[in-house]
Formats: sequence, structure tokens, C-alpha cells
Amino acid sequence: MYKNNRGLSRRNLILGSSAFAAGLTLSPYSINAYSSEEENKLNFYNWDTYIGEDTLSNFKSETGVVTKIDFFADNDELFAKLREGNPGYDVIVPSNNFVEKMIEANMLSPLNHNKIKNISNIETRFLNASFDKNRKYSLPYMWGTMGIGYAKDKVKEIPDSWSFIYESDKYSGRIAMLSEAADVIGMGLKYLGHSINSKNPSHYKEVEELIISQKKHIKVFAEDNGQDLLASRDVYLAQEWNGDVGQVMLEDNNIDYLIPKEGSLIWEDCLCIPNGAPHPNNAHKFIDYIYDANVGAEIADYIQYATPNKAARKLLGDDYNKNTSIFPEESVLDKCESQLYLGEDILKIIEDSWTRIRAA
Amino acid sequence: MTKKQSIIRRGPLEYSKIKWLKYFSVVFFIVLYAPIINLIIFSFNDSRLNIVWRGFTIKYYVKALQNETLILSFINSLSIAFISTMISTLIGLSAAICLWKFNFRLKTYYDLSLLVPIIIPEICMGVAMLIFFNSVHWPVFTIWPLNLSEIIIAHISFSFPFVVIIIRARLGNLNKSLIEASKDLGATEWITFRYVIFPFIKPALIASSLLTFILSLDDFIITFFTSGPNNITLPVKIYSMVRFGVSPEINAASTILIMIVIISTVLIIKFLNYEKDLK
Amino acid sequence: MDSWKVKKKFFTFSIIPGFAWIMVFFFLPLAFVWIMSFGEKSNIIDVVITGTLDNYTRAFDRVYFKVLAHSFLISLITTFICLIISLPIAFLISFSSRRIKTFLMILIILPFWTNLLIRTYSLIAILRTEGHVNKILEFLWIKINNVLLFLGIYDGQLTPNEFIPLNLLYNNFSVIFGLVYIYIPFMIIPIYVVLDKFDKSYIEASLDLGAGQIKTLFKIIIPLIYPGIISGVLLVLIPCLGSFVTPDLLGGSNSQMIGNVIERQFKSANDWPFGAALSFLLIYITIGLILIHSLFSKKIVEEKIL
Repeated sequence: MYKNNRGLSRRNLILGSSAFAAGLTLSPYSINAYSSEEENKLNFYNWDTYIGEDTLSNFKSETGVVTKIDFFADNDELFAKLREGNPGYDVIVPSNNFVEKMIEANMLSPLNHNKIKNISNIETRFLNASFDKNRKYSLPYMWGTMGIGYAKDKVKEIPDSWSFIYESDKYSGRIAMLSEAADVIGMGLKYLGHSINSKNPSHYKEVEELIISQKKHIKVFAEDNGQDLLASRDVYLAQEWNGDVGQVMLEDNNIDYLIPKEGSLIWEDCLCIPNGAPHPNNAHKFIDYIYDANVGAEIADYIQYATPNKAARKLLGDDYNKNTSIFPEESVLDKCESQLYLGEDILKIIEDSWTRIRAA
Repeated sequence: MTKKQSIIRRGPLEYSKIKWLKYFSVVFFIVLYAPIINLIIFSFNDSRLNIVWRGFTIKYYVKALQNETLILSFINSLSIAFISTMISTLIGLSAAICLWKFNFRLKTYYDLSLLVPIIIPEICMGVAMLIFFNSVHWPVFTIWPLNLSEIIIAHISFSFPFVVIIIRARLGNLNKSLIEASKDLGATEWITFRYVIFPFIKPALIASSLLTFILSLDDFIITFFTSGPNNITLPVKIYSMVRFGVSPEINAASTILIMIVIISTVLIIKFLNYEKDLK
Repeated sequence: MDSWKVKKKFFTFSIIPGFAWIMVFFFLPLAFVWIMSFGEKSNIIDVVITGTLDNYTRAFDRVYFKVLAHSFLISLITTFICLIISLPIAFLISFSSRRIKTFLMILIILPFWTNLLIRTYSLIAILRTEGHVNKILEFLWIKINNVLLFLGIYDGQLTPNEFIPLNLLYNNFSVIFGLVYIYIPFMIIPIYVVLDKFDKSYIEASLDLGAGQIKTLFKIIIPLIYPGIISGVLLVLIPCLGSFVTPDLLGGSNSQMIGNVIERQFKSANDWPFGAALSFLLIYITIGLILIHSLFSKKIVEEKIL
């Protein structure tokens, strides 16, 4: 690989001397925009380790399109990066509430469903979404839940309620909350019996007080390493995403994951094409490729998240399909909500109250 | 040390022989290296988690060396660090000389303005750069190293003031009579610079370029906002990768980098000594 | 120091690269953000420049003062510890033989070739409850107990009965530890660079004249390496103030710094005008403090650094 890259760049250098002058006069968006004859390239902006190991190279050998991948670490980064204009990405993977936010901000281009034949492989309940009517702009890539990861050898009972995290001194100093304001506060709303998507400011005040009084029992607002803290027993209870806890469950039998009885939050990462994408045709081709049964199965098998691709699920065994940390039971799912984009005013309330919580 | 002094058990200036200073520095280096040794050891651990030892393996080295994007981002980050260090050292040097040598109106303001890139919160500068490159329609290059131009420019902007500060601290101790002597002997500005000032500030130049190099290598936020699909860098890759916890693959890659640095410095030092012996 | 009029050509040649660079590639981009701090969000992504000062007045809320004061405290402690550690280390390097000098310099820089994030996670592995430091302490604790038991001095147990691991992580201690770890070369190097070339006969003279080591340190050495110390303090204190990765990863539930608040405005809060206002307030406060400092120590500072 190393050799290949070097060779490529050397050849580019030689070609470059002539292309240099041309390159200077080109503006970022004029390159091949929306022409039917696209160069065989695709720029994919994804989370890291969130696609099959060979998916991109197989895509290349099948279609001839070379995919360049770049990574972001959270939705806020993705949004901030694209806010001032698309620097050249063709396919991006935002989560549900950000899909809605980006639609609202007019940052996504509509998908042409006719070009995505494999859309028939997607489970029907995913073909409409509260955050994107009729899936005009987005298609589901992977989905999951938020819940409580816990160490079975340290926690005596099954922590089946959010009260263990939000209102209890039982495991004082051994509790980790997430550090994303909207997620932590949203789940607080759920615990107090409100909707995750409440627009009532007084509900937010209640949650703020709840978390401030619970703060002395919380060891850390974990950035994205709650699962590591569990594995090292620095904490016994962690509010975490199912996939993250799943990673450590593979190696540590004493760690388990559950969705508390109050219900929880369902997230869904989606494939979208941002406005100004230089290769929209390839982007459609790529999205179609992802929903192929075999490809979908390969990805799901590698990253161990829940796929909405029913044809792919048929190819995978019970290890995957019957794993309740990946696919919770329907009765549990019924109590879960997905986060919506609540508008800038509510987001400001959330952020301000988070600053006060952290400073308290 | 003169011969006479070396007869005394410890000369007044042989601080390296003071006992507590020795112990202190040993402890210092142990603490400094503890995390590095830890990551080297765990890069051979047969577990995705860096928590318990589950047996020796080199599979993460194989994985790291096969990871195309990881290697590409490595090469990109090193190129960025190398180029931006070279340029910021040159710019920093000229600015430091100018501020040291001349009196001019607005000098204090120029001086203070050089501190702003250090003061400014990284994310604010990152966003500033993002808006800037967007509004001037900075061209998209796919040719190395031009594809890295935005990141390199941003890195120079925040790192050359570091060079200025360090070089000026050193110049503050330059005995001005040396320069006058050189001029009295008829040397031109260039000759004085070449044979008096330059040798004097050389250690500061080396030290500050080492610092700017690691500054550039470590920067995430500004790099993130100035990068695009054509220039993936190591910090951007790593920040996204650790979302699932630090994998031993990253530890393996870091170990390889450290080994490359150690080997190349040893070679350079050997080579320099060899040259000196020849002379 | 010459007036610029004496050697116009040299002056122009030396001032242009730095000045032009910082104007075009720093202050021009920064101007966009500065203007934005006087704007209001009109929808999710658009900002209308209305000349409002709301973003600044909003920053005068008590909660931000609290965060800012906390950040200053943490940064000052970090800088002070860095200084205490760096002085002896810089001494050791500059008084070593040439070959060892290079070796030591490289030894100090080498760990920083690993990415900040990786180093921080490695630090977590060492400091955590079941981490290496606590393991070593527990081992020692058991050994001491065994020795005591063997000697029959004590009935086999130190109080408390069981080894209680130290809480080394997720508090302000770990934030300061992490910051010192990250910024230490930025203190050592400027001090070393100055210490390295000053005339060591001053020290000898002072010692010969009967001043003790301590007196020599404070009366001779520190004043002479003052420019190095000031540079080091600048290079550690200022970046510390804006740091956010370390408090995020090593801090506990109380370790929010101003850098974290600013970062959130640009990211999750999506409130760039307010983030810009906070950033500029931080810049103004820092520059103000530097100016105050230079007024107080005008003589030294004018000569040596500012």
C-alpha cells in the first residue's frame, strides 16, 4: 500500500506541474458538478471504523469508482465543517436529529430513489421517518439505542431504571454520564416522564436541578470512553450507546447492557448527499451498493451495529440477529423515542443549562 | 572545566553532579516516559482494550501497516509538520531579528499582535480559517503537497510566533559589544549575521523548530477545520478512531513512529560526529 | 537597537515576511470572526451583522466568570509547577557536556511525537483506579505489611484494613497533571535556550564572593534568565487557558474550563457569534494582563522581551 501511494504521488507531481496552473483558476465547486460524465471518484465522509473492511475496495473493483474516505468524530463537527459550504464531500453519515437540522438549513440534496434499486432491501418501517418525510433526503445506515452499561460483578441488582444514573447515591462516585448536553438532558426529560423532544422550558429547568443535585455522585461526564471506564471498573454504571458497550462485552463477560424501563432514545445514522457534492451520480451508485444484501451483511457483521437492511440480516446468523444489545425486543423499542431537531431556541436553553450544570 | 577544577570533587558549576538534581531528573524522565512505555507495551497486547494483558501479539502492527488511510494520514501529517516548521522557522527568525534590531513606531503593537495566535482559542482560529478559505475560494488541489496548503498555512500562522518568542529570549542575552566589535572590524550586516548572530541563536533555532514540529503534529482542531476530502491527517483520523476506544492499532502506529524518530536521530548524531572526526 | 531609518533595506527585508503573513493569514481570517461577534443568528446557519453587543453582555453572566476564574486558577497552578520542574531540568541540560545535551533535548521532545490524544489515554491507563500507579502502591502496601508482620512490630495490618486506591483521575489534580505533562517542554526549552549561553562566570564570581547557591540562584541566575522564564510562562500559561481536550478527558464533573465552553459554542450550541465574543473577551483579558505585567516590570521587559 505504502508503495502504491508513493508511486501515485510521484506521478501526480509530474502531472501536477501542468495541472498546477489549471488548478489555480478552478473554484471548488466548478469541478464536474452535476455532469453525467463524472470522474471515477467519490469522497465519503464517515465515522471511523464504521464500514466493512473491504467494502470500499470491493466497490472499486465492481464499479471502478475510487473512494476517498475522511472522518469526523461527532455530528457537531460534521455540521460545523459543512456549515460554510461543502468542501467536496459526496456522501455523509449524520444522525437523525442532524439530518433534520441539515434539511432545515438546506444543506442536503434530495435523493433520487429510482437510482437506488436496492432500496427494496430496507425494512418498510424505516422507509418513512419522523425527521425526514418519505426519506426524501436520507436513507438509514445503522441504528441503535442508548442505555446503561453495567458491571455485573459490582452491581448487585439489575439497574433497570434511569434512576440509577440520574437520582441515586447507591453507587456514588461510580457513575458515568455521557458528555453531550442534548443526550444527557434529553434522557433526564425521559426519566422525569416528559418527552425527549419536549419544548417546554420549565421541563429543562427541572432536569437541570435534577442533574446538579446528582452531580456529586457522578464520577465523570465521559467523552466517548464510558465503555473503557466500565471495563477497567473505574465506574460500575455508565450511560452509553449500545455499540460502544457491545465492543467491551465481546471481551468481558461481566459487562452487560440494558434499556431502562422508562424507555430510551433510538438513534439512526443516515446516508445523505450534501449540497454541492462534486460526484452525485457516484454517490447514488455507492448508496445503492451499500444496500446490496451481501455488502450490507459484510458491513453489519464487521461493525456489529443494527442494520435496517432485511436482506442482509437474512444472511447473518443468530449471533447477530438474536443479540439483544443490538436488536432490543419490540416491547422495549416501543418505549423509545428518536431525537428530533428542536430548533435553535431550545438548543440554546439546553447548552446554557449544560454550562451551568458543569460549572455548579 | 579546567584541569584544576576537575581535581576538586565537584566544581561549583557541575550541577549535573549534584545528587538531588540527579534523582529529580531521573524521576522526571520516568514520569515523562511512563505513558509512552505503557503504550508501547500495550501495542503488543492481544486485546482491543488497553486494560488487561491478554497475551503477546504483533497482529496490530500488521494491521497498522496494512491500513491504507492510516499510512496516508501519517505521511500527510509528517509532511505538514515538516513544511510548516521550515517556513515558520524562517519567518520567525526574520521577525525576531527585526524586533530585536530595530526601533520603530507601532513596534509594541506588532509585538503584541504576535501573541494573539497563541492566545486565541484553537477552535476560534479554526473557524476563522474555515470561513477565510471558503470566502476567498481557495482552490482545491489534488497534487501533493499543494493539497495540504490550507493546513500548512494555518499551522504556520499559529506556530511562527512561538519561534519569535524563543529566538528573542535568546537574543536578549547576546552581548551587543560583540556586534559592535564585528562592525568595527568592517564586517557587513550579512557577515555579522552569518558569523556572529547566527551561531549564537542556532540552539534557539533548533529548539524552536522542534517545538513547532510537535505543535503541528499534535494540532487537531485547526487542522480539522482546514482539511477536506483530499487531505486526511493523523489527528483527524485518530480523533475519529478513538470514538470506539483507543485500539492497539494506534498504539502500534505510534510505536513505529517513535522508533523511526529514535533511529533517525541516532543516525544523524552518528553522522555529525563522523563529520567532525573527519575535520 | 537601531532606528529603522538607518537601514531601511534591512528593515524592510526583515519585517515583511512576518508582518505580511500574520496580516493576511491570521488577522484577515480573524476579522471575519470578530465581525461575527457583533452579529445575531437569523436561522440555523446564517448570521446577520447587526452591530449588537448582546453577545458580549451575555458573557458577563456570573456563570462565565466562575468558569473563567477556575480556568485562570488551574492555568496558574500548572504554569507554576511547570516552572518549578523546568528550572532544575534546564539547569541539568545546559550544564551537561555537548553530546549529552543533544541527547537530553531529544529525550524531552520524543514523547511529544505521539499524538496528544494517545498520550492522554495512556496517562489515563496509568492513573486510573486499577491503573499502574495504584497497582504499585498496593504492592508496596502489602510488602510493608508483610515486613511489619515479620518483625512483629504491628499486628500485621496498617490502617485502614484494605488498600484503598487513590483517586488520581477525574478531578482537578488530574487536569493539572495532564496540563503539566503536555506543556512542560514549552517551559523547559525557552529557559534552556537562555540559560545555555549566558556567561557562567557570573555564577562563579558570585559563589567565589561567598554568596550561597540559593542566594546566587535568586540574585544572579534568575534575573539573568528572566527573558527565558517570561517566554516560558507565556508559552505555557496562555495555551493552558484555552485548552479543552485535557479537561474533557481527564477532568471530573467539576473540571469545565473556558476552553470547553468556547468549544461548545462553536460545536453543539451552534452559536458562532457568542463563541466569537467569548474568544475575543479571552484575548482582551489576556492582552490586558500582559500589558499590566509589562507596566510593572517595564525596565526588564522592554529590554528583554516585550
